[in-house]
Amino acid sequence: MADTHKQWLEELEAESKVKQEQFMNDIASKLRHPRMYDKPNHPFRGAPDFWNAFEWSEEERIQAFTDNFLSVGGHVARLGSMDEVKSFIVQKAEEMSAKYVIRQNQPELDALGLESALTGSSVSVWNTDDEQYWRARAAEADFGIVIADHAVAYTGSVTVLSAPNKGRSVSLLPTVLIIIIPIERLKTRLGEVLVTFDEAGREQLPAGIHFISGPSRSSDIENDLTIGVHGPGIVYALLVE
Amino acid sequence: MAGAKTEATVKARADLALNDEFLRKAVRFTTERLRNGKKKATDEHGNWEDWRERGKQIRLHTIAHLDYYLNLFVNNARANGVHVHFATNTEEAVKLTLDIAEHAGAKSVVKSKSMVSEELHLNHALESIGVEAVETDLGEYIIQLAGEMPSHIVIPAIHKNRYQIADLLSKEAGYTLPPDTTALAGFVRKKLREKFLDAEIGMTGCNFAIAETGSMVLFENEGNARMVSTVPKTQITLMGMERIIPSWSDLEVMATLLPRSATGQKLTMYMSGITGPRRSADADGPDEMHIIIIDNGRSLQLGDPEFQELLNCIRCGACLNACPVYRHIGGHAYGSTYSGPIGAVLTPSLNKNIAEWDDIANASSLCGACYEACPVKIPLHDMLVYLRRRKVESGNGSKMESIGMQGFATIMGNSSRLGGVLRLGKLGQKLVVRSGVIKTKLGPLKGWNTYRVTPSLPKESFRDRWDTLDQELKQGLKQMEPSMQNRMEELVRKRELDEKQGKGGHGHG
Repeated sequence: MADTHKQWLEELEAESKVKQEQFMNDIASKLRHPRMYDKPNHPFRGAPDFWNAFEWSEEERIQAFTDNFLSVGGHVARLGSMDEVKSFIVQKAEEMSAKYVIRQNQPELDALGLESALTGSSVSVWNTDDEQYWRARAAEADFGIVIADHAVAYTGSVTVLSAPNKGRSVSLLPTVLIIIIPIERLKTRLGEVLVTFDEAGREQLPAGIHFISGPSRSSDIENDLTIGVHGPGIVYALLVE
Repeated sequence: MAGAKTEATVKARADLALNDEFLRKAVRFTTERLRNGKKKATDEHGNWEDWRERGKQIRLHTIAHLDYYLNLFVNNARANGVHVHFATNTEEAVKLTLDIAEHAGAKSVVKSKSMVSEELHLNHALESIGVEAVETDLGEYIIQLAGEMPSHIVIPAIHKNRYQIADLLSKEAGYTLPPDTTALAGFVRKKLREKFLDAEIGMTGCNFAIAETGSMVLFENEGNARMVSTVPKTQITLMGMERIIPSWSDLEVMATLLPRSATGQKLTMYMSGITGPRRSADADGPDEMHIIIIDNGRSLQLGDPEFQELLNCIRCGACLNACPVYRHIGGHAYGSTYSGPIGAVLTPSLNKNIAEWDDIANASSLCGACYEACPVKIPLHDMLVYLRRRKVESGNGSKMESIGMQGFATIMGNSSRLGGVLRLGKLGQKLVVRSGVIKTKLGPLKGWNTYRVTPSLPKESFRDRWDTLDQELKQGLKQMEPSMQNRMEELVRKRELDEKQGKGGHGHG
């Protein structure tokens, strides 16, 4: 079966490569130029120059991020240390009686010692056991805990990148999402984060790059805003010095 | 889905829409809300014209070099481990999808919003081989249960009220749900959670595809696009061949324009860039990822100076919200996948079938609000005129209109003939004038008089009064105050000077 599946995919690929040439030749002939194989000069790449020169101070960034995140129904807390992060999470878990907590497998999170601090909840750590169906573990979780790779003040967004130790499901499937944002990762503009993916290049990119700007929402029923339609309905952004 | 087209023309469908009081109010309310949101967001962001111009330049550049950028995207996506396929038309795209579904042994497919999938009428095809297709966007799910088509590109269930929605969802639940938004959305969340975890295939559209890294980008608010691209084992992405942008840096411009124009948001709640299937050590994401690149009439616009810019469209829906005609008749009246001004141009262009779709181009007041609203400055109102011209040139013009125009030329070409006709008209209208206006819906006046009345011809026409007016005017000029006369003459001199220097024109910049 595995072989036939592989064969089928190879057949499709062979067909696709033939079709690719037809497609590109057809496009070139309709555009009335010979096939282009060299990178064309792209004078308008990215945002306008005046925008790229725009930058806020750290205080302005924190203020703007906070305002934006609150305006879409998210929650923000500014904390002085990772110890404060720990007490914040413990307090929230007790308040909401979180039974299942899932977190990314990162040293900063190991250091919080949530497994022993959260006495009323069972804490699982992403992808630490090959036998688990991790998507289901994330789906049943009340809390998901992640660390932001980047954040953007102007749009009030947080960026999380996937990796073997960092599941996409952890920021998506739980009811409550807690995002820890080390303050030095908070940038002014979206472009400051996006350009890092151009610089990294294709081979370095993770499978999933996700910008999260607040709780899941919809206005599809009579324009009435509903929070938490598919993704987490409660989102805490913890800005940590 | 196309089967829902029970009435043949936009006009007939619009009559249906106009009769539905709720739809009309809902459309007006929603478009108003979205339009105000856009205005607020763009004002707040500032320099909106600079951003529009930048967006237009990036799209123009990419489309002008589409063979290079699309090819680059395909090669990079393959290098990321994606299985890339090409479909010239609907049939090929459907065949590929069904082939993939069969090989995945799929019983159900969860879908996030995709306009391309609407173009293909894929749900129907999947059901024909026994695969359940579930729309997971809240609005799309509702209209799927109702068996209808989306009426707005951004808010597809704009035409349903909460009572109708509660009825639909109660039928699905098997118990009665209250007509309360939170309760209804809560039911959908629970119901679709099971579907996400069960389905073998997740299907998405594609807002942008980044050529230099082979990544695809999705904008959404609910999280369902993330679900369908994270949970199922196989992912299929349907992508229009023109969705390309060169780089992640260019994405900043699109991310600035799209959410603000669509809903007035600074950014949608989720923006995801997906680069290939799950890495072997990752514990989630699809094992197998397919991207089907679809032409389906798009390439017909390439090299066409009047319509190539259609491919710049980023599917924000701002032109719908700005359009006085759309706001009045709603999306279903257009009878096609894409509605509003963009639909009026895109549908006949993709189908290259001017004869069948010609009446959509006429459902426009050519006011240019669509162009003003467009974040990438597509001259939609000009295109509507080109379409009308092509329709007439191809011999599909309205016969009555041609006869009318010929008659108009005959009468207007000779002043005594016009005078005669007007005198005849004054006599003839005595048959139909009631309290100073004409309300009859007989003969050629039916279309006009359905929603308004025709004024009767005045007892004394402008032509009759011209001799007297001419006299008065000449007298008046003589008596004009010297200061006023100087000012008028100054204005005329200035205008003549400007015209000589090639400035000005007639304000149609």
